Amino acid sequence: MEPVKINLFGVPGLALLWALTLIAFGVFGLRIWGLIGLLRQARYENRFDQFGRRLAHAAEHVLLQPRIFNERAIGWAHFLIFWGFVLYTACFNWSLIRGLFPFLPIPYPDEVKLVALFLEIFAVLVLAALAVAVARRLFFPPPYLHLSLDANIILGLIGLLMLSTLFGSAFRLVGEGGHSSLWTPFGTLLAGVFPGMAPNAARAWATTMWWLHMVGVLAFLVYLPYSKHLHLLASPFNVFFSQAATRPVGDLTVSGAKDDLTEGASKWQELTWKQLLNGFSCAECGRCDRACPATASGHPLQPQQIIQKIKDHMVRTGLRRTDKSAPKLVGEVVTEKEAWACLTCLSCMEQCPVWNEHVPVIVMFRRHLVSQGRVERTIQEVLGNLQRYGNSFGKSDRMRAKWTQGLPFKVKDARKEPVDVLWFTGDYAAYDPRMLEITQTTAKLFAQAGLDFGILYEAERNTGNDVRRVGEEGLFELLRDKNLDAISKVQWKNGNRVIVTTDPHSYNALKNEYGLANEGIGVKHYTELLDELISLGKLALKKKLTGKVTYHDPCYLGRYNGVYEPPRKVIAALGLELVEMPRNRAISYCCGAGGGRIWMEDTPDVKERPAENRIREAARLNGVQTLVVACPKDIAMFRDAVKTTGLEGKIVVKDIAELVAEAIEVAPVQVSG
Amino acid sequence: MNLYVLLKMVPDTVEELNVAADGKSLDTEFLRFKVSDPDEHALEQALILKEKHGGTVTVVALEAPEVDEVLFTALAKGADRALKITTDQTRLGAFAAAQVYAAFFKAGPGQITPETLILAGSQAIDDLEGELAAYLAETLGLPYLGVVCNVARANGKLIVLKEFAGGLRGQFEIGLPAVLGVQSAEKPPRYVPVAKVRAVMKSAKIETVEVGVSEPAVRLQLERLYKPEVAGRAQMLEGTPEEIAEKIVEVLAKQGIL
Repeated sequence: MEPVKINLFGVPGLALLWALTLIAFGVFGLRIWGLIGLLRQARYENRFDQFGRRLAHAAEHVLLQPRIFNERAIGWAHFLIFWGFVLYTACFNWSLIRGLFPFLPIPYPDEVKLVALFLEIFAVLVLAALAVAVARRLFFPPPYLHLSLDANIILGLIGLLMLSTLFGSAFRLVGEGGHSSLWTPFGTLLAGVFPGMAPNAARAWATTMWWLHMVGVLAFLVYLPYSKHLHLLASPFNVFFSQAATRPVGDLTVSGAKDDLTEGASKWQELTWKQLLNGFSCAECGRCDRACPATASGHPLQPQQIIQKIKDHMVRTGLRRTDKSAPKLVGEVVTEKEAWACLTCLSCMEQCPVWNEHVPVIVMFRRHLVSQGRVERTIQEVLGNLQRYGNSFGKSDRMRAKWTQGLPFKVKDARKEPVDVLWFTGDYAAYDPRMLEITQTTAKLFAQAGLDFGILYEAERNTGNDVRRVGEEGLFELLRDKNLDAISKVQWKNGNRVIVTTDPHSYNALKNEYGLANEGIGVKHYTELLDELISLGKLALKKKLTGKVTYHDPCYLGRYNGVYEPPRKVIAALGLELVEMPRNRAISYCCGAGGGRIWMEDTPDVKERPAENRIREAARLNGVQTLVVACPKDIAMFRDAVKTTGLEGKIVVKDIAELVAEAIEVAPVQVSG
Repeated sequence: MNLYVLLKMVPDTVEELNVAADGKSLDTEFLRFKVSDPDEHALEQALILKEKHGGTVTVVALEAPEVDEVLFTALAKGADRALKITTDQTRLGAFAAAQVYAAFFKAGPGQITPETLILAGSQAIDDLEGELAAYLAETLGLPYLGVVCNVARANGKLIVLKEFAGGLRGQFEIGLPAVLGVQSAEKPPRYVPVAKVRAVMKSAKIETVEVGVSEPAVRLQLERLYKPEVAGRAQMLEGTPEEIAEKIVEVLAKQGIL
């Protein structure tokens, strides 16, 4: 069969194919060129390092797409459509080349038996997948799935391509005399539907199907960069260039930045190219919105919308330059309320199948707002306190170690006496009256285990983790420099330098944003250290605890730093039965304190605060009366939530250190101050 | 408008204040200074007036610990000039400080023009009477209003709101030049990011000036500075009326009253 040898209203098929191909590729190329041009106007960011690791990351997440399978039904459907797409794209190009250059001594792809078989199998699989996708959109769409005409057009187009392939195969069989073939099983099946068709007519229909298919793909090509299906071009690059491929996402430092990013972004050109690539990669699946605690509690923030709005705004103002009426990116397109609603809990990024990076973009907007002095009163007060006293509580820095006063021993000043371990308590463990007893208990545990530890006393400052996420980059740098200066004065006993932190937020900054690894200093969370001390037998458990408990994974410990098991191992070692909440580990639900939200007032839009939602989840578990936490902010948030939800008497919130103390029968700490 | 804002450093009460060995002054060991809160409002009001009506904002302070940082912060917020008078503020009372400022404005480099408005905090924790601005106005012969909570400009004059007790506000119209003691600006003082302050520290300068008052008159001498003695705590007695009566007798006996 030679589908190009036709004559349509006097135009030879070959000429028609050339014309259509040139137009389609031309339009496609121009659009893509335009979009790349937009990225080139953005700020530079170095995502070109460690090619091998990036390639491995991309291979896994583009070819296997594990994150798509977080939602199983559409996971398989997407997986099949994707691989069908790969096969069909290859065969389309093959077919096109053969059509454009009829003198080439190669067959058409469907003339190769094995290829024809694969094309048919995938056509059927993809049609089934499309049925799932369409049914999902029509009958049981998950919340925040963007139900656009765009998506339906694309599904229709894909369906058309599959059907044209199957019918093409059927008509060709009829045209060739109606012999059945095991290489084209579905074509054979369909051929049976047209028993009386004349061979000539069938061949004409087969040619028509070929043209329909080719024109369909060319139309797809033109439509693609104007639609959300741009994701199929952009997302492989997005995955390849993602930060997670090479370094922790807990580090907000933009590597290789050539501009000063302290003042963030007030317009799209002030974001980095990678931050803009997010928009081209987004497939509007809504996983981020479904995972977002701000969205769920009624805040006017949907992570997907942030990404989409930036893209639409950029395309509108960047490609159509005549549009002078465009609103401002920060304050109008993305409102201040949206920017401030984020808890930086990382749920959106954890869920995103194309590895978009929402949080850093939101921080860029916050930086701009901070640079303009547009910050909430409460945040302003806290930032002022942090500038002046180095803690968010606005207490004297000399009061930082006041909690040690109730202890039966003196805690070493690590700047003056040699230590093995530097304990960086963080603000809440040191200043929050609710934490006093727990911090003292932790100190006793360390002492009991024979740990040679010290603290920085008044020299410790807030690490600036949340300050940075509020967008006060200059203050973060100030705090970090002061802390690094204090840490450099620590008298280490030996080469094994360890900093242990109580607060997962401090843990993240120290571990990922302080560059301490270069100084040979390892950073551990106290749950990691407790786990170690117990498993090494240094903390001898004197009695087994009994009962069922559940455990809340703090965002900055779990999602940010992958520390899921040590606290669980400690709980198990104590003899307690751990009952997991439905949302555990990577899908743990934020308590609502992150990203500086703990310092902000809730607006009236809030339906149910994240901590309340979470405490109800814990209280629903059968036989569980204790929520174990491993973050001082969780103590504050959840103990409060227990009261506001009226769950007192049903569930108590305990720090993991308190449970360990019960098991090793540490003498109760005298509360003072 | 030619706006001057007088900034004053006061002890930071986040640190516990202790009396020094001389019994007349504060122990300086842990003493830290911060800018007086109402002065921040005075600055904010000045910046708002500048944004609305143009002109320049000059911040002026006397020599005191940590004052440079405060002046740089004021520049970062939008003040045009920062002047530091070399006279030490910490030993001066309000009257003496007013004499120094008066000399600054009379003999230069401060110059009272028909467009000059001097704003100071309405009071400070060590000047609860709010005397500074009033003394200064008197010495300069300018109109004065204190406890101001809003300043607007209309037809070349100032519309000034002043707070009264009982939730009342008074509206005044005064001409320029004038001195105002600001209680609160019409908006809360703005936040200025650390990066901006740091940039200003690199690019801008604080101008130091001397004024011709060699010995500012200190009119009042402090005899004794002390913390009030802690009053006795109330003690709740519980039990039946008989038991309580017993306990009262016991307590009184212990105190030697019975």
